[in-house]
Amino acid sequence: MPSQIYFDDVSVGQEIPVLTKNVNTVNILMYCAVVWLMDRIHFDNPFAVKRRGLPDIVAPGNMAPDYYVQLLTAWAGDKGRLRKLGVQFRNFMVPGNVLTCGGRITGKTVEDGKGRVDLELWIKNQDGVVCVPGKGVVELPIRAE
Amino acid sequence: MGSLLEELGWKNFIGHEYPAHTGEPVLARDIRRYALAIDDDNPIFFDEAAAKAGRHKGLTAPLNYISWSVGVPGAEKATKDLGEDGLSSFVGIPNIPNAFSLGWVRGGEELEFFKPIYANDRVTVRGRVTNMAEKVGKSGTLVFVTSEFTYTNQNDEKLATHVVTMIASPRKEEAE
Repeated sequence: MPSQIYFDDVSVGQEIPVLTKNVNTVNILMYCAVVWLMDRIHFDNPFAVKRRGLPDIVAPGNMAPDYYVQLLTAWAGDKGRLRKLGVQFRNFMVPGNVLTCGGRITGKTVEDGKGRVDLELWIKNQDGVVCVPGKGVVELPIRAE
Repeated sequence: MGSLLEELGWKNFIGHEYPAHTGEPVLARDIRRYALAIDDDNPIFFDEAAAKAGRHKGLTAPLNYISWSVGVPGAEKATKDLGEDGLSSFVGIPNIPNAFSLGWVRGGEELEFFKPIYANDRVTVRGRVTNMAEKVGKSGTLVFVTSEFTYTNQNDEKLATHVVTMIASPRKEEAE
């Protein structure tokens, strides 16, 4: 188990450890199958490219918040909590993408005795294109006096 | 220039409530497969004992599974009843006219998490259309539809809220 991070130990401007994700046709299919998502742009290349003008099949946008949830819950540890997550879908995530999911602390405040950390978030592809920028709020434990 | 929202007959749908919907019990199998799809190997999604060893009372699901945990009302149709793009209807607004005359993309989402989802939970979603707006851009008129959803479990505990903005534009298909 990684050691627990505490509110006391983080500072504004600090970046959190990144998470790397590989987008491929198999994990897109797994996702569509388990949630019963039958939109052809996610699995039918000729339809996506010829009919919708897309570069390839595209990953469901909803996978991006999943990546952020994984990034932030891992960082927050068992005593921390992911409270809020906002995302904007700017560029498609497509098979072959190697995504870097990261975040930077933009604020820290104590609210009702709890440590609140605000972060700006990004998912960039291997060309440095930000696909899904985001914002998050994480609650971290405060060290006992 | 006229309003696309008026032309589509959508203005009256602002404030429209989606029918409340309660899903079937969340399956451990679906949680596991979902975690595999997003490549998240946290044992709390795979192993009940591991989940209980931490702060959870049982096998839990990735937080963003919330919107899928109720199923997608109306989406489970035979292929002959789906649109040619594989979709069943526009984001669940019953009886909205002209939904398929536009192409839809997801614009953005805001999620707030209150409590975890556990295997065997029955999740209920309630929601309404909170805003519709239109913007004229370089490539034509875009319509923004924002909806807000609240998810509760079988004990009426609030699990999450979810604000979704969908963007629609008149279809411009490329020739086959």
